[in-house]
Amino acid sequence: METTEIKEKISEALESVLGHSNFETNDELTAQDVDGWDSLSHMMIITKIEEQFDIKFKLRDLNKLKNLGSLVSVIQGKI
Amino acid sequence: MNLISNIQKSIEDNYDHNAFCIRNKYYSYKDFAQVVSNIRQAIQTSVEKTEVIIGLVTNDDIETYASIITLWMEGKAYVPLNPEFPVNRNHTVIKQAGIKTILDSSTDKIFNNYNTILTKKLPASEINLCPVDHISEEDLAYIFFTSGTTGTPKGVPITFNSLSGFTEAFWKLGYELTNADRCLQMFELTFDLSVFSYLAPILKGACIYTIPKDEIKYSYIFELMEDYKLTFALMVPSILHYLRPYFDEIDCPDMKYSLFCGEALPLDVTEEWSKCLPNATIANVYGPTECTIFCTDYTYKRKGGNKSHNGVLTIGKDMFDTTTIIVDDDNNEVKTGEKGELCLSGVQLTSGYWKNEEKNKEAFFFKDYKGKETRFYRTGDLCTVDEEGDILYLGRVDFQAKIQGFRVELSEIEFHSKASLDKMNVVAIAFDNAMNTTEIGLVIESQKFETDQLLEELKTKLPHYMIPTQIRFVDNFPLNTNGKTDRKKLKELFS
Repeated sequence: METTEIKEKISEALESVLGHSNFETNDELTAQDVDGWDSLSHMMIITKIEEQFDIKFKLRDLNKLKNLGSLVSVIQGKI
Repeated sequence: MNLISNIQKSIEDNYDHNAFCIRNKYYSYKDFAQVVSNIRQAIQTSVEKTEVIIGLVTNDDIETYASIITLWMEGKAYVPLNPEFPVNRNHTVIKQAGIKTILDSSTDKIFNNYNTILTKKLPASEINLCPVDHISEEDLAYIFFTSGTTGTPKGVPITFNSLSGFTEAFWKLGYELTNADRCLQMFELTFDLSVFSYLAPILKGACIYTIPKDEIKYSYIFELMEDYKLTFALMVPSILHYLRPYFDEIDCPDMKYSLFCGEALPLDVTEEWSKCLPNATIANVYGPTECTIFCTDYTYKRKGGNKSHNGVLTIGKDMFDTTTIIVDDDNNEVKTGEKGELCLSGVQLTSGYWKNEEKNKEAFFFKDYKGKETRFYRTGDLCTVDEEGDILYLGRVDFQAKIQGFRVELSEIEFHSKASLDKMNVVAIAFDNAMNTTEIGLVIESQKFETDQLLEELKTKLPHYMIPTQIRFVDNFPLNTNGKTDRKKLKELFS
């Protein structure tokens, strides 16, 4: 899957959990940059992304998802 | 009371051992002693001897932990102030505790208008770990402010004597800790379980592993356990709920002790968890902040035969120097096996809420116990004790809702719902509806699904007045700042 397509799907997941799309999908985007992306919504976002890509993150993956770039590469490794 | 000199001795004896691992960086006990000494110098020059209650900004760094030990060596108490808490709440606490000086390891000070000591920017000073000579047993070690039901935080002052009593009682449990151990400290410093998580390791020269505030707690804990081969961990049971979907990825044979406190510990989850830590002793400890960290203990039996009620593991027996009784509404002890409110007494018990006579009258009472007039604290926890003296937790007294005149234990509804829903997490809530009658709501941690089958099953197990009338779904249960399931927030889902 193309990086841009993955990013699109991720921002759909973010939008559906957070209820807004006030963020730029660049690689450096982190949870701190996005309103409402806290440790609680993080888990919902993770679950949503797992559903959308039909993948399952490992426990160890969760700490690597520090920014959008690393999230994309972890997903690429799984699909 | 040798607590402070024991801390001094342990630090000095372990100079070449690691004291902390914070964000993958190690600090030895020598480094720790240096930071303590630097802060001491600053306190001695800018804080009056008579000023004993000091604010502490709770950052995750060596200076913050060193500040606590420094204050104790100076015979002073700390009041933790979490910079992420609402400003108004912190100011209420500062005012209530009469704080003038605040120790702050931030780059720029968090609170204006106080005598702030910026602990990261202090000049190096000669090492000095000798406690001052005027520390008395009745001096305070800390005041923790817990949320009061009326909205005003309640201060719980704990003396060195109580804290020392706690550590002595803990060692008597026989859970061994040495300077070869690697221990988890997962708690916000505004939560008193943090005191155990740094103090026990420091007293034995063990290494403390903290969790940076910007990390996802449960997955970070797992990485610490695996990467650093942690041997000792006290956690809240909520962590297990988050880790449970990943239990098959967890194998930590190095873990020697895995303790739980702060919430009801489900027996089935504990059984599954025990397989992730094949060599660990698992224990369920219990206690409110008012009785210094925890004061009862139960060691989980791997071979089975564990006592539980509604799927919740027993909290065991009182620790050394704590007395537990279970009383009815008139403060009379109930018979073995009968329900009542758990009340605590002993060396670990606080002298009472900070400047709050009204609350003290509600929460504490005197009672003749074994021929002696004894002061007890009402925990608000509904319990029963069995023939062998093990205490079973039934729920909060306030969660004991009255529905149509019947007494209902919400934990019982939760138990049967979980049994029907195969590992899903649920919380039962009693709430007042528009007609001002009490209804039972059930929150399920899941995507939405048809609940007819669940309700049918509940009807075969529970009387009609205990069947939830409203059901809500949430993807993840919210946690409060102490890392426990936030029941207040969940209650807001109903009206």
